[in-house]
Amino acid sequence: MKFLVVDDSATMRRIVINSLQRIGFNDTVEAGDGQEALAKFDSSVKFIITDWNMPNMTGTEFTKVLRSRDDGRHVPVLMVTARSVKEDILTAMEAGVNNYIVKPFTPQVLKEKIDALLPAAAA
Amino acid sequence: MTSSRAHEVLYESEAALRLVDQELSGLHDVRDVSPAVPTISLADLPNILEQANAQILNVLARLRESRAALQTTALERLQTTHEKIREVTSATEDAAINIMDACDRATQMVDELDAIDADAAPDREKASGIRATLRDELFLMMGALQFQDITSQQLAHASSVLVDMEERLLEVARLFDHNVDFTHTLRVSGAPDEKTYDPNATTRNAEGRQALADELFTSVKAPAA
Repeated sequence: MKFLVVDDSATMRRIVINSLQRIGFNDTVEAGDGQEALAKFDSSVKFIITDWNMPNMTGTEFTKVLRSRDDGRHVPVLMVTARSVKEDILTAMEAGVNNYIVKPFTPQVLKEKIDALLPAAAA
Repeated sequence: MTSSRAHEVLYESEAALRLVDQELSGLHDVRDVSPAVPTISLADLPNILEQANAQILNVLARLRESRAALQTTALERLQTTHEKIREVTSATEDAAINIMDACDRATQMVDELDAIDADAAPDREKASGIRATLRDELFLMMGALQFQDITSQQLAHASSVLVDMEERLLEVARLFDHNVDFTHTLRVSGAPDEKTYDPNATTRNAEGRQALADELFTSVKAPAA
C-alpha cells in the first residue's frame, strides 16, 4: 500500500516514514507542502499522512482540494500536527481529515490511527 | 512620584524638547536660507508658542496611544514569547537527555550481545530478544527528534513577534523623524511565513492534547474515508 507523507520538516518526514517501515509499510512517497503533494498524488496512493503548517499550501487546504477531486474523495487522510486547540481540530475535520495525531506522537498512536483507517484505504 | 511615572514624564519631556528644538531649528534655517523672510517680532511669539504647544500636545497624544498599544498587546506577546523560548531550551534539553539515556541503554545491550557472542554456546534466543529491544531504543531516539519540528515553529513565532515589535518601535521613531530608514527591517530581510508555524506549538502535555483530539473525533462524526 502506497503512503503519501506530506510535511515541510525533513526530520518529521523521516520519522513518519521510518515509523511506517517499522510497521510494515515500505512503499512511500514524500512531499514538502500541499502543492507538491497534489502534484505527486495519483490513484496509486492509498493513504495520506499530512502536516498542517506548511508553506505554499497547508494541510487543510490540500485536503480540501483533494476532497474536491474524484480520485481523492475517499482516500484516508491522517493529519499529524502540532496544532491542538479545539477550533483547529474541528477545522481539520471540516476540511475532510479522517483522523488526527498531535505532535509529538508515539509510534503506538500512529499505528492505532493507521489500523483504524486501513479498511477504508483497502476498499 | 513613582519611578515609572518619573520615567513617563522624562519620556514626554524629551519628546516635547525635541519638537521645540525642531521648531526652533526650522525658524533658524529659514532665516539662514532666505534673508527675505521678515524678522519675527516679539508680538508673533505667542502665536508661535501656541502652534508649537498644539503640535507638542498632538505628538504626546500619539505617543500615549503608541505606549498604550505597546503595553497592552506587545508586552503580553513578548512575555508569551519569552515563555516559548524558555520552553525551547527545556524541550531541547529533555530530548538530549532522552537520547543520551537511550544511547546508554543501547551501549549496554551491545555489551550484552558481545558477551553472548563470546560464549562457547551462544544463547541465540536471548540475543534475539536483546536485538529487538535495541531496535526499540534506536526507534525511541529517532522519535525524540520530533522536538526539532516543534521548537522550530516556536522560534518562528518568536521571530514574528520581533518583526512586529520592530515595526511598532519604528512607528514611534517616525513620530520624531520622518526619515527613519525602513529599508533594512526584519520583515524586509525575511519574516517567517505565518502558514509555516503554529503560535501555540508545544512539546508539553502531548497525551492530554491527543485525548482532546480523540474525544472530538469520536463525539463529532468524522468524515468517512
